[in-house]
Amino acid sequence: MDNVVRQNRLSLRSILMRFGFLIVFALFFLFFAAWNPVFVQGQNLLNIVEGSAILIIVAMGMTLIVATGGIDLSVGIALDFGAAFAVVAMKSYGMGWFSAACVGLIGGSLVGLLNAALVVGLRISPFLATLGTFFIGSSAQRIFTNGGGPISYRKMPEGFRDIAQGDLYGIPTEVIIAAVLVLIYYLVLERSVWGRRVHAMGMQRSASIVAGIRVNRILIACFVFASITCAVGGLIAAANIRMFTPLSGFSYLLDAIAAVFIGAALHPRGRPNVLGTLAGVLFLGMITNGLNLMGLNFNTKDALSGIILVSALALAVAQRNMRNADGD
Amino acid sequence: MQVSARHQKHRLATLVGFLPLIIFLALLLYVGLNAPNFMTVVNLKLVLAQSLPVVLSVIGLSAVVMAGGDDVVSGGIDLSTPATAVLCAGIVSVMTTAGQPLLIAAGASLIACMLVGVVNAVLITRLRMAPLLATLAMFVAVVGINNVITARKRLNLAAESIASLRQDFVFGIPLGILLVAVLALLAYHFLHRSKWGLNLQAAGGSRDAAEISGIRVDRLVAQTYLLAAFMGFVTGFFMLARANGYSPGAQDNLMLEMVLATFLGAAFSPRRIVTVWGAILGAVLVAAISIGLKTIGVNVFWTDLIKGALIVIVVALSAISERVQ
Repeated sequence: MDNVVRQNRLSLRSILMRFGFLIVFALFFLFFAAWNPVFVQGQNLLNIVEGSAILIIVAMGMTLIVATGGIDLSVGIALDFGAAFAVVAMKSYGMGWFSAACVGLIGGSLVGLLNAALVVGLRISPFLATLGTFFIGSSAQRIFTNGGGPISYRKMPEGFRDIAQGDLYGIPTEVIIAAVLVLIYYLVLERSVWGRRVHAMGMQRSASIVAGIRVNRILIACFVFASITCAVGGLIAAANIRMFTPLSGFSYLLDAIAAVFIGAALHPRGRPNVLGTLAGVLFLGMITNGLNLMGLNFNTKDALSGIILVSALALAVAQRNMRNADGD
Repeated sequence: MQVSARHQKHRLATLVGFLPLIIFLALLLYVGLNAPNFMTVVNLKLVLAQSLPVVLSVIGLSAVVMAGGDDVVSGGIDLSTPATAVLCAGIVSVMTTAGQPLLIAAGASLIACMLVGVVNAVLITRLRMAPLLATLAMFVAVVGINNVITARKRLNLAAESIASLRQDFVFGIPLGILLVAVLALLAYHFLHRSKWGLNLQAAGGSRDAAEISGIRVDRLVAQTYLLAAFMGFVTGFFMLARANGYSPGAQDNLMLEMVLATFLGAAFSPRRIVTVWGAILGAVLVAAISIGLKTIGVNVFWTDLIKGALIVIVVALSAISERVQ
């Protein structure tokens, strides 16, 4: 009798362990679908992915930095710089859309270079270094725009506008860009020797130095790579509203961190990983979209998504703990 | 000969160790020379009064960092304190505006704030969630709840007695400054001079060693999150007094200044660790720099850049001095 009960509990436990977070994901999905049938329509699901495209991109960069064992508080600055450099290149220097996009990516990489110089060159901890970059980058934008007014460019070239507003066989370009970046990140971080080195360094830095991994070189590459990725997000943001809005990147920071850690909690060994981050971003996007469709008051919606975020994270972590306890 | 060389190297290390503080003081001196009324007693009181909310919140944060270890990503940190502070300010404002007595409003907000602390403690010590993640998520949730309570409106101060934190004087010293000074001394005593504080530092220094020697680390860590929530509660009243009411959106700036002050404070301490006095000094110096730059007419767009550069310089210097030593 006792045995049977225990077995039952064990099987329930094992189901929860393996699928806990996915079950919550599915329950929310069903709940929103029941509330408003529009939620499950193909167009709306595509809207969720399209609305999350920039966050997916920023969260990829964050995943890379967290995998090295650091954190990047300046992802928003890299995003803003990408948008600002591209818009100014087109508006003031009359560049074509492609060269302007490249200038945007170079602008974003400046942020990564500054981070790398501070973290690798001056040995400042990533948290404080990127906090410094955040302050400096925010101020630079205020100075440049004379207080934070947006730089709009309604007549931007068709090609640049298409980065956000075009589509390929009915799929929005931004979704395609995000998908390509996710694929690249997956192959580089999870399926290559270089990615192994990044993870090794994030888990045991001193051991990986002893093993001959060139930690500094990898760190520099990661910071630059991550900032260029965020600048891609900036290009999309700028193309979407045809203007550069200073300091708008900050709003992605907390969500990107949350998505990376949800993803890490889903991983068997608690490591940040590309697919987990993707799941985290889509979860957040689904919650935002679903609450919007419920037609709630703006403040209530904000509070609810905050509470859901805490509970979802708690659940994801509890799930990982149970799995680890069983593995011991 | 050799001895003198070593002696010289030691002197160099001490000098480099004090550089962060020297840079700050030099900047203040520069401000003082350019704006003669900066170095007056009235203005210094203004600087202190301005820094009170940050000073209070860094007391809680430094306790959390001391017990959890100073690695920002995996160690202890409480980013939710600013949210707790605005939650307190919000609840007190809404209830007193609705005509409730201050004491009941304060009681209700104390319960709400401590609830935030309890949730933090459970997430971190029971579920083993990374403190950075747990308290960041709590920050978002608590700010969201507070926005529902206050509907994001500016509320003027309804309880006059809170204003006395700003207006009243005891022995010529503003009441608010006096109260915070007493709280700071108490915090210094409990965190640096009591058995509890020593256990706390042992836990933060090496968790495993502390556990082996019989310190109940989880309990201590949980207590620091409760302390941080309580300090957030106290901070709420000083924010109400400073802004003469509740203004939405105060939490973001408080979070940045709190983190900045605490980790700058570590650069001021001889062993480069987070201490209560270092964090408080950091909070006052950051407020002094902000006000000082305004008095000499530096464009407000540049203040963040100067603050960011200061973080980088100070922290880099403390890393260099560690290597020299």
